[in-house]
Amino acid sequence: MSSTMESLHTPLAPPAAPPARHAGLSDDARVRIYQLVLLALFLGLWEGLTRVPYLIKNTFLDPFFISRPSLIAEQLWAWTFGAQAGFLMPHLASTLGATLLGLAVAGVTGFAAGLVLSQNPILARTLNPFIVCCNSLPRIAMVPLITMMFGLGLLAKVVTVWFVVFFLIFFNTFKGSLSVEKHILQFCQTLGGSPRQILWSVRVPSALAWTFAALPNAISFSLVGVVIAEFVGTTTGMGYLIVSSLSTLNASEMFAAITVLGLCGVGLVSLAERLERRLLRWSPQFNER
Amino acid sequence: MRVMIRLDGVGKTYSSKATRHTAIGSVSLEIAQGEFVCVVGPSGCGKSTLLNMVAGFQPATAGAITVNGVPVQPGAVPQGLGYLFQKDTVLPWLTVEQNVGLGLRFAHLQPDRIAEKVQGLLKLANLEPYAGYFPYQISGGMRQRTALLMTLACDPQVLLLDEPFGALDSHTKINLHRELHEIWRQLGQTIVMVTHDLDEAVALADRVIVLSGPPSRVLLDHPIDIPHPRDPYAVRETDAFGQHLKAIWAVLGREYQRTPDGTRSVTGAAA
Repeated sequence: MSSTMESLHTPLAPPAAPPARHAGLSDDARVRIYQLVLLALFLGLWEGLTRVPYLIKNTFLDPFFISRPSLIAEQLWAWTFGAQAGFLMPHLASTLGATLLGLAVAGVTGFAAGLVLSQNPILARTLNPFIVCCNSLPRIAMVPLITMMFGLGLLAKVVTVWFVVFFLIFFNTFKGSLSVEKHILQFCQTLGGSPRQILWSVRVPSALAWTFAALPNAISFSLVGVVIAEFVGTTTGMGYLIVSSLSTLNASEMFAAITVLGLCGVGLVSLAERLERRLLRWSPQFNER
Repeated sequence: MRVMIRLDGVGKTYSSKATRHTAIGSVSLEIAQGEFVCVVGPSGCGKSTLLNMVAGFQPATAGAITVNGVPVQPGAVPQGLGYLFQKDTVLPWLTVEQNVGLGLRFAHLQPDRIAEKVQGLLKLANLEPYAGYFPYQISGGMRQRTALLMTLACDPQVLLLDEPFGALDSHTKINLHRELHEIWRQLGQTIVMVTHDLDEAVALADRVIVLSGPPSRVLLDHPIDIPHPRDPYAVRETDAFGQHLKAIWAVLGREYQRTPDGTRSVTGAAA
């Protein structure tokens, strides 16, 4: 009886909050867990399906074509610490070196060109159709020509990357530099800023935010550019590994090389994001937590 | 009386192939050194254009403007002229402190001299605790205060204010009125402020200029003889304030009725 009375007089409890499923886990940790689950699922399916005899016989799910994660891992081990230890590094270094160098050259020239053209409307309008034309060229199809012109080494790779990435950086910087509002430029003029001072203290920082937005794509395209240049004519680099594994019909080698490239892309982009976060720490977009 | 800003028959006509629109008919004004003048008028009457022409941002199509005796050249900001916009003008990638010092860095001052001067200014506006903050971390009122300090750092003799408090809430506005008034009393700049807020104009100014709708001209040049120092808030309670407000509104209100949204004469002016 007393318990009934008590329950009658107890004020209504607020509705129980749904139990937090990942109580105590930060969003970062959850994202990491989801990523690992997704990766495990993908690798597991790949590994499992390429072991089903029916599928191997009747579909492309045949380790002869697409290898399988365990074989790829074995190949990577062999290249790094196993039977062929030291084989991978020179190729990787060659590809990464060309990528970073190409990226640096394209970044600096694209940024400079974007700034210069944003300051010269007449020049920008004059060059516009030519720039659009160059940007519409099938650059990948021109890689053999670039190789003929610049030889089989580093230079051809860097030129290819430059040709692919320059426009990305250029267009973003150009837009970013023009996006500075007029009244801000006028205000800085009243503070006594010369055109050169205003360029460096207003246009450059505000363009930089836009340039960084192009960087993830620029990095990925750089890697693609280098590898394609390596397809055509070199004896080093990840692209060369892919081509040579194709010619010996070794799917594990090819996918091992592709895996390394993918990891490079993820690594470089995350480095770039870190740099962006640091340089653009004034921007609310990196502080909304 | 030393004339600081002189406008002599200043006009502004926008011409395109099809239309000609006279925004400013003919405005002649003399503003004395150390005077605080507010300019009011219906929207679209060219108040901001007038300020822009004094600052050299836009060329006048008729008449002449001199600041401190020197003719204003379009494209060049007159020496010793500061300008405060309604829109945000602090640079988002600089801290409050760095923003305030921007003009001093433009002038190539020694870093320790800059730091010293910036500290003094931050103290003046009670922004010291926010010196290291980025603009996105502070309120709109604080950003506008920072912009005012950026201007003051350059020791302007003339301050042009284009609806500087238009985007702020009324409490912030009143605080900033007091600060601005105090700064003006201490430093004695010549101030020309464009505003929509007649109360603000009467509370702050020595003189209120009423412009007509386009093609605009001076309808009324009304001195506010309430003695200084005034408290820009408390002054609103006085009889004198009400009388000035009434006298100005008698002219301005009629003008608002003539051009309720300031657009009628725009279409009428096409020729």
